[in-house]
Amino acid sequence: MSFTAKDTKLYREDERAGHRNLGVKEREKLVQAPYHAVTLRVLSILKHHHNTPDYVRRDVSVFKRLPKHVSIILTLEDGGRAGDALEKLVNEASEVAAWCASAGIPRLSIYERTGILKRYMPQTHRALSHKLKSWFGKYQAPPITLITRGASPIYSVNRVSYTQDQVPLEVILVSEDDGREAMVDLTKVLVQMVQQEKILASDITLDVLDHELSEAVMPEPDLLISFEPYVDLQGYPPWPIRLTEIYCAPDNQGVGYQVFLQGLQKYTEATFKLGK
Amino acid sequence: MSDLYLSHVRNWILKSPPAEWVIRNARELLIGTLKQGPIPQHVAFEMDGNRRFAKNHKIETIEGHHLGFEALARVLEICYKCGVKVVTVYAFSIENFNRPRHEVSGLMAMAKVKLEQLVQHGELLDRYGAGIRVLGERDLIPDDVLPYVDQAIEMTKHNKDAVLNICFPYTSRAEMTSAIKATVDEYTTAPRLTNTPFSQSRITQKIRSNRSKKSDSSSPMDSSLDENGVSDMDDSMSSTTALDPDSPPLQSTPVQSTRFLNPENITAETINSHTYTAECPPLDIFIRTSGVTRLSDFMLWQCHENAQIFFLKCLWPEFDLWHFIPILLEWQWRQKKLTEKEGPRK
Repeated sequence: MSFTAKDTKLYREDERAGHRNLGVKEREKLVQAPYHAVTLRVLSILKHHHNTPDYVRRDVSVFKRLPKHVSIILTLEDGGRAGDALEKLVNEASEVAAWCASAGIPRLSIYERTGILKRYMPQTHRALSHKLKSWFGKYQAPPITLITRGASPIYSVNRVSYTQDQVPLEVILVSEDDGREAMVDLTKVLVQMVQQEKILASDITLDVLDHELSEAVMPEPDLLISFEPYVDLQGYPPWPIRLTEIYCAPDNQGVGYQVFLQGLQKYTEATFKLGK
Repeated sequence: MSDLYLSHVRNWILKSPPAEWVIRNARELLIGTLKQGPIPQHVAFEMDGNRRFAKNHKIETIEGHHLGFEALARVLEICYKCGVKVVTVYAFSIENFNRPRHEVSGLMAMAKVKLEQLVQHGELLDRYGAGIRVLGERDLIPDDVLPYVDQAIEMTKHNKDAVLNICFPYTSRAEMTSAIKATVDEYTTAPRLTNTPFSQSRITQKIRSNRSKKSDSSSPMDSSLDENGVSDMDDSMSSTTALDPDSPPLQSTPVQSTRFLNPENITAETINSHTYTAECPPLDIFIRTSGVTRLSDFMLWQCHENAQIFFLKCLWPEFDLWHFIPILLEWQWRQKKLTEKEGPRK
């Protein structure tokens, strides 16, 4: 919630009265939004990664377990009308890719509603590789594979000849079309197959759908990080997010390393007990 | 000893008539105030934390579930009073069958009692005109619970103003699978070709014989009708063969392509119309208690867009108006922001 002049006045009055007017809870509520903003800001200074993989590695080394597959939701600013919106988006994507590569997370899926990144796959791949090279050094950068539904994947040149300590990164681009629309497409295929009597309608089980959707669209992510001030799925594919841990820093604005770290921390703390 | 017993004195004071009157009026006033703004049409609750609550307060697990049920009754009253049309609750997941056997049977026994109570002390549901619907895999409901489920649905059938969806045994992926399956069925079977004892050819024959009885002279109108009748009969014949799943493929292939609906017409709306919540308004608010930030296979299809998701720290038995008000205010505030944002664009 926004922090208005009225709130400030209210808080100052309360302070003059020696914090007697407002209860602890109310006071917390009043200072909550700026408190969150300031903590995030301070954290971002303390925990700055200095574009060095070693710093990221040190930060994540305290976590007991890391997700195998991280998913993020990015937003194209201003509906893409601003001139630099796409550049900003690509930049954010490559930043997060660099953090994942440094932390040793092998798979990253990037959800962006309009799917603009899919239209610029070669350019995106180049930007991501460039970022990793600037982080790791030209010859130490891990290979990147860029995947999206309905297009052939793009590989890095060094995808076969990487060393032991490099973790190849797989980046999946996901957009609104991969959500309900993908399921509609799958249904169409199934209908055709049943009509041509290749399969029976009773053959369609949860298993089959899960296998097909995770192969063709994306597998289930372990952790979903939203960089919005509140959880907003924006049309994120409904099938894969079954048990995904969702993290969203309250009152956060924009992509930040500290949010990413906190998301990983949250994932470490979460307990999984499917149905139990 | 449970700390819940220690609060007896406080409870005694709070339950005294004047205090109760004041509290009730304060609540009414608050709800009345909230009603001035936009009100969500559909709210879903994932009632998590009953067992942890029981553990924290050193009471039996099943006792925690009972308190959870009381919280549900409270929440229902608040929601319907505010004007929420549909409340969906996650009562039992298909995965819950993996729990220890005694707990599952305990939960099933509780479901029986609670469903009976909900209906018998039906004033809550009747006052707000709420009908119960049970969403989920019906064939997984144990045989001894099924009559209670049917009875609850039957006895609240006349209530049309609001809906209480109880998801029991439910998972969202199973729901999506069944929706896709139903869509496939719809598109691979022509609509009026279910196994009906009535034959179209017999009807046309009868009409024709009637007509010939009535007038020996055949007017041009009649003959055209007859033609229609004949072609109709052909249709039904050919499609019955196409429909029959047991018929050998060779027999049905020639006529198939003409009879089936075109799969290209399938849209998200088609699949949506086969989900359990097809008749409900789109989901506005999703609330999960107990600080877990996962959807856990609940309402995945419904909340992927335009639904606002709230993860609360409090455990479900603690959930009350005081937790619901900030959510509702936040929702109204975001709703206002959204309309402001979309306003100038249009």
